[in-house]
Amino acid sequence: MLRYVLRRLILTIPVLLGVSFLSFMVIAAAPGDFLDQYRINPSISPQTIERLEKQYGLDKPWYVQYLVWLKEVIRGNFGYSFQYHRPVFEIIWRRLGATLLLSVSTMIFIWSIAPTMGIYAALHQYSFADEAFSVIAFIGISIPNFFFALLFLYFAAKTGWFPIGGIISLNFDQLPWWGKLLDYLWHVVGPVLTLGTAGLAGIMRQMRGQLLDQLRQDYVMFAYAKGMPERNVIYKHALRNAINPIITIFGYNISGLLGGAVLTETVFGWPGMGRLVIEALQSQDLFLVMASLLLSSVMLILGNLLADILLAWADPRVRLRFS
Amino acid sequence: MSEENEVKVKSEDLFEVEYMSRWQLTWRVLKRHRLGMVALWILIVLYLGAIFADFLSPYNPYRQSLTTRFAAPTKIRWFYGGKFVGPYVYPLIKEKDPVSFRTILREGSNLSKIEGVDREGRPFSVEIGKDGVESIVLMVRYRETACSSQGEVTYRKKTEELDIVPLSMVDELLGEGQYVRTYTSSSYVKALTSKYAWKVKKIGSPKTVDVVYELDSVIVSLKNGEVKEIPIASVTDYSLKRYHVKFFVKSWEYKFLWLIPSRIHLFGVDEPAKLYLFGSDSYGRDMFSRILFGSRISLSIGIFAILITFTIGLMLGGFSGYYGGWIDEIMMRITEILMSIPGFYLLIALRAIMPMDVPSHITYFLMVIILSFLGWPGMSRVIRGMVLSLKEREFVQAALAMGFPARRIIWRHIIPNVFTYVIVAATLSIPSYILGEAGLSFLGVGITEPSASWGLMLAQAQNITYLTNYPWLLIPGAFIFLTVLAFNLFGDALRDAMDPRSLGA
Repeated sequence: MLRYVLRRLILTIPVLLGVSFLSFMVIAAAPGDFLDQYRINPSISPQTIERLEKQYGLDKPWYVQYLVWLKEVIRGNFGYSFQYHRPVFEIIWRRLGATLLLSVSTMIFIWSIAPTMGIYAALHQYSFADEAFSVIAFIGISIPNFFFALLFLYFAAKTGWFPIGGIISLNFDQLPWWGKLLDYLWHVVGPVLTLGTAGLAGIMRQMRGQLLDQLRQDYVMFAYAKGMPERNVIYKHALRNAINPIITIFGYNISGLLGGAVLTETVFGWPGMGRLVIEALQSQDLFLVMASLLLSSVMLILGNLLADILLAWADPRVRLRFS
Repeated sequence: MSEENEVKVKSEDLFEVEYMSRWQLTWRVLKRHRLGMVALWILIVLYLGAIFADFLSPYNPYRQSLTTRFAAPTKIRWFYGGKFVGPYVYPLIKEKDPVSFRTILREGSNLSKIEGVDREGRPFSVEIGKDGVESIVLMVRYRETACSSQGEVTYRKKTEELDIVPLSMVDELLGEGQYVRTYTSSSYVKALTSKYAWKVKKIGSPKTVDVVYELDSVIVSLKNGEVKEIPIASVTDYSLKRYHVKFFVKSWEYKFLWLIPSRIHLFGVDEPAKLYLFGSDSYGRDMFSRILFGSRISLSIGIFAILITFTIGLMLGGFSGYYGGWIDEIMMRITEILMSIPGFYLLIALRAIMPMDVPSHITYFLMVIILSFLGWPGMSRVIRGMVLSLKEREFVQAALAMGFPARRIIWRHIIPNVFTYVIVAATLSIPSYILGEAGLSFLGVGITEPSASWGLMLAQAQNITYLTNYPWLLIPGAFIFLTVLAFNLFGDALRDAMDPRSLGA
């Protein structure tokens, strides 16, 4: 197992190199660079621009820039953001908090109800609740995030029950600690519901389908036939086997934790990673984009690895294949 | 008897199974899937709407009309005076909100006939079209009175010409000769009276403001240029001009099916009335027409992108799965790298490479390329996996042993087996392309104004004041939702129908 994990981790390195090379190429290939906005500004002298070009290394061809950047990254220096004049990780760090708050809340929301809903629907197949859940699931899968977010904002603005965007209220600093918590929860409802509906639907349907598949298997019938109590048949046998794909999805969810949700963040004015990357991409803030993309990619790869490890932990058959 | 019947049915089944083609069988199963069929019909209607968009649009989707910005969806009426008269609408008039100074468009109405008694006691009757009467305009006296417990004071008097009378006041104004609107909200009252504070002071702070409209006279213009003014004492009868919804009307020019120049549209109303089925946007463009034109982009982009994705996916995936070796190795590493970059960022980064200020048809083309670039790695990997496992199957091995060339084996033996999966996967992944386009356009990096796409139209609703005041801006979102839902439902049904286990049933 350990050898497998180590091998996967080593394999990650060329992939990350590829990701960084490709991203760097794509961003460098875009017409213009960050200094364009200075060039059209007549109050900045050409000498200054030249100096800045030299400072950021923008006067060299892009592959030289890439190699320089790579050398610095290996040393642990991810460079400065052009726009904020700060080390990129300082900026990412600040946004990371908001993104993590949102994605962790969403995960808690999804994982606390979706599997239960799926199990319930499978055990009461074709009941009213089952049909209602699958309607909700289809709507949840099909509704675009940004449309749901706008609908929620409309609802919030009309009723005044929820804030229309942002992460904290103006008087956040004056609130006692429980007030701060409540204020945060109040703000996070909209984004969590928006992101939650989509994720919820997928997991619920998967859980239902898997459990139904297992309940039809011979071993379940055998367990019933030998007089095992229904609770044990369902929860100790069928469910244990049905849960595997769900664990894989859990891993994928973890891989998306730091990714941020661009559209939802945009609509709700949530200061997360998604918006940071978009803004950085649009102003061609090269190093900031590179660092955030790399971070998301690392997360994606680690999440997939984690999914595999979790699966091996849950399923002895998979464990056997690994060793 | 019943047993005989059963046997008969079974042999019929056998006949169908033996003599119906694969597609006929699939269709037979599909037809039984109720939701799937509904979804299919919805998709057919949506695509027909896209094809005949210009014929179905009452207005040119690009023409701005700044006098009718943010008009609410036009109310279509069917009855007049309790009688069914067919669909008709009333024209819009602008009213300024006295506090926020926001312009609101309300329904108003022209008069087509008015009868009554003038101030000298003589009866009169005017009707448009009769005696050369061309238009009827009402002169209305208008005064604002502030009231408080200590009395009331009139602070503003005006005479106004109303060629279109707001529908809300028409009955009282013409029936009783007077229309009173009372404002009670304190902010309203303050805003209305503050300009005349020196007058209003006399009665302390006013609690309400009455705005009174009184009928003064009718101005009738005749065809020969003559204008007559009739001072009114009372009105005995009147009727409102109705703008009927007409079918196959002539208006703006387009090319039917991109070929035949035409001016005929399915429906429309005469000016100055407007028929905005879904309201109008911030430039006063008809949302209904724009949604139809937007569907051309939003609905086709997914199809084109999926076609390209699948061609690439089938070719590369099939190739690397069938031949394996170092080609396979390189290909899989490339797909791995592409799949390790979060999708939406890659989408935007790729868009950033492409020039921004190009004509919209080139933007469209670029978006198709970007979207299919994003989709091919996943597709290739799945197809590669399927080809890998198919290669080991007996029938392929047999074909190999018989010495068939690789091309024949790939085309005749492997592709048909992958194809079922491909069709289902295509249907189920079209929504992600539609959402990709909508998302990019929503962020302002996709299709750009003045072209229409559903995502771009929805971007207007990002402004929270627009969103709360003009909720019809959300309608394009409902169309995205409906389309994605229909594709998902239909794809689901298709998956069931294509499953060989369900064919005999």
